[in-house]
Amino acid sequence: MTLQRWGLRPKYRNLLLGLIFISPWLIGFIVFTIYPLISSLYYSLHRYDLLRPPVFLGLDNYITFFTDKSHTPVVVYNTLYYVVLSAPLGVVSAFLLAGLLNTQIKGRSVFRAIFFFPAIVPAIVTAQIWRFLLNVQYGAVNGALQGLGLSTIPFLSNPDLSKPSLILIHMWAQGNAMLIFLATLQDVPRSLYEAATVDGANGWHKFRYITIPMCSPVILFNLIMAFIGGFQNFTLPWLISGGTGGPNQSTEFYSIHLYRRAFQNLHMGYASAMAWILFVVIVAFTVILFRSSGRWVYYGGAAE
Amino acid sequence: MKKLSRREFLRVGATVAAGATLAPYIAQADEAVVSNAPAARQGVTIQYWPSWSNFPPAWEKMVETDEYKEFVGDNTVEVKTGTPWEAVLTAIAAGTPPDAVSNYQYLDLMARGVLRPIDDWVAASEYFKKELYFEGSWNDGFYQGVMYGAPGIEGFLRYGLNYNAKMVEDAGLDPDNPPQTWEGCLEWHEALTKFDDAGNLTQMGLDPYDAMGGQIAIQDGFYPPVSWGWKWFDADAGTFNIANDMMIEAFDVMGEFYRIAGPDNVAGIRSVEGQGGWGGSFNASVQAMIIEGYWHPGETIIQKPEVGQYNRATWAPVPTAREGAKVQGTGGHYVVFFKDAANTEPMFKIAEFFQTDTACQILFEDVGWLPARIPFIEKTDPSAFPGLEFYFDSVTEATEWSSPARCPITAYVSQQYQELREKVFRDELSAADAAAEFQTRCEDEYKMAGF
Repeated sequence: MTLQRWGLRPKYRNLLLGLIFISPWLIGFIVFTIYPLISSLYYSLHRYDLLRPPVFLGLDNYITFFTDKSHTPVVVYNTLYYVVLSAPLGVVSAFLLAGLLNTQIKGRSVFRAIFFFPAIVPAIVTAQIWRFLLNVQYGAVNGALQGLGLSTIPFLSNPDLSKPSLILIHMWAQGNAMLIFLATLQDVPRSLYEAATVDGANGWHKFRYITIPMCSPVILFNLIMAFIGGFQNFTLPWLISGGTGGPNQSTEFYSIHLYRRAFQNLHMGYASAMAWILFVVIVAFTVILFRSSGRWVYYGGAAE
Repeated sequence: MKKLSRREFLRVGATVAAGATLAPYIAQADEAVVSNAPAARQGVTIQYWPSWSNFPPAWEKMVETDEYKEFVGDNTVEVKTGTPWEAVLTAIAAGTPPDAVSNYQYLDLMARGVLRPIDDWVAASEYFKKELYFEGSWNDGFYQGVMYGAPGIEGFLRYGLNYNAKMVEDAGLDPDNPPQTWEGCLEWHEALTKFDDAGNLTQMGLDPYDAMGGQIAIQDGFYPPVSWGWKWFDADAGTFNIANDMMIEAFDVMGEFYRIAGPDNVAGIRSVEGQGGWGGSFNASVQAMIIEGYWHPGETIIQKPEVGQYNRATWAPVPTAREGAKVQGTGGHYVVFFKDAANTEPMFKIAEFFQTDTACQILFEDVGWLPARIPFIEKTDPSAFPGLEFYFDSVTEATEWSSPARCPITAYVSQQYQELREKVFRDELSAADAAAEFQTRCEDEYKMAGF
């Protein structure tokens, strides 16, 4: 073989062959992940508007973000509000839904398909449907309320209700998490429930002491994914607010503000700094979650 | 048949693959030789990105004309509409901009040095002569003394209060005696704003922040300074004049329209009809009055004739203290050319074509647009669309003329204006605090953007 002819030692020959085989992925990783990562770090230290050459600013973009009183407090509040509420509520709703769909009910497959369906609906469709459903004047939900003689609710046009409404939509679209929970629930050994029954455990006890611990690794996984998704929340609020982050900046989340600063205000350097700050925050949250998991996550195969 | 060994197979395979890979380049190399010949300079593909979504039908008609064929020669023009601003920026940053664009943030581009100056082309052009254009529209093609924008496509007058005479009459108001001040508009607004039994807004008199009342971006001016009569940005000094009594009054007066209709109600209607939707809610008969430019009469009659037939226009409102002031503005659109683009010169010919009566007539009839070109305006029938005559009359009757400020962070200013005015009409911030905050934000941004 050619590589043998080059006189390479087997160790390096294998390394080279391995690299050649993974080169399509490796090239993609370097070009589309490593390079943007490094360049965003570089631009975060510069004033860069895409149109003019970057000008070195040092840490100014980072300092500006932390000292900006006009937008940073609003954006951080909106994002934390959304993350802190939507992540646990989303996981809880997915878990409960999976629990319900794991019972012996008629038409179970149909229900599973129905509840999974939102996960495969494109975000633009989801946004348009909910926009019209929840519209205060023309929405079907408010139409029904009006029909019942109740007053209408400005779900998406009132700044106090817009974030809870988005969280509600988020809870509705939990098909993926639900599916993972469903698979996990089906994997919980029946023998544990049978033993618990023999010991006189009721339904709640079984759920609390068997189902939850056995599913806890997956709960952790879904929670982490929900936190990350919450911090990066963009598509739905962007589409529902028409790209404004309104009403009254109530849905201007971190990613929306980042995007507006980058592409509408031409502050690519500042937006890069924001991206790095977000990255650090997400890593911190993930580490905290992992650290806390020792107390509440049960790994059946873990060493004692 | 001789069997191929594995080595031979690999060798043949590699040769074929290399040949296939190189073939297109070999072909291109031949073409490149041909394209260097003077005769082959024709036949290039010009990229033009106007962002208007209602432009294509007119363009399709234009390309069929003999005049267009003369201007374009053997070249081809690829028109791409609706391209997002982000995509334009990315194309510029990647070094592959289109040859020209229209209806984007002209000032952002002019101020950042990515456009090709066109003074030399304009000096040699038969079509672009300063005296043939409205002064403000011509001047707005310049930035710091250099001409970057060739006026074109759309550029006639910017301000008028358009109203649906039928809705006005139905509300018991006199359509022959329209309001001229904000106070008068508010009275009409109250009479024209309707709610259902549940308190939901079903019809709005005037949304003062819709269309030209609320936009600052691109080349559309900033209405409170036009209405109250001051300059909000000094381009020479690079200073803002926003935190003043007039801005405070404007926040309060214009916000009152929202307080009457209910901010949540308006937000609900806007999420369906669109904010700054350039007449969408007027066409839907949800809004009875709108501050719009000359294009409103034509666009409305073309898009919704059953509504357009009732359109009338009068002077855009001013504060009571300035009653009698007749404000009007120039502005409009340009064709701007990118320095790094390959075919800007043949594209300039297309910009010249847009000045011809043929192109202007198609745009007028099919879209409702007029250029800032005086000879064509003089030939146009002002009664073509209901309400259009007002704009023609205003050319001689206006007492105050305005032009968009030459502010290179206009898009940011527009965004902050939208945020802060909402805080005022939702009573979260006083008008005075909003004006002060507006000023601070603009000054900070101006520095941050490196101007």
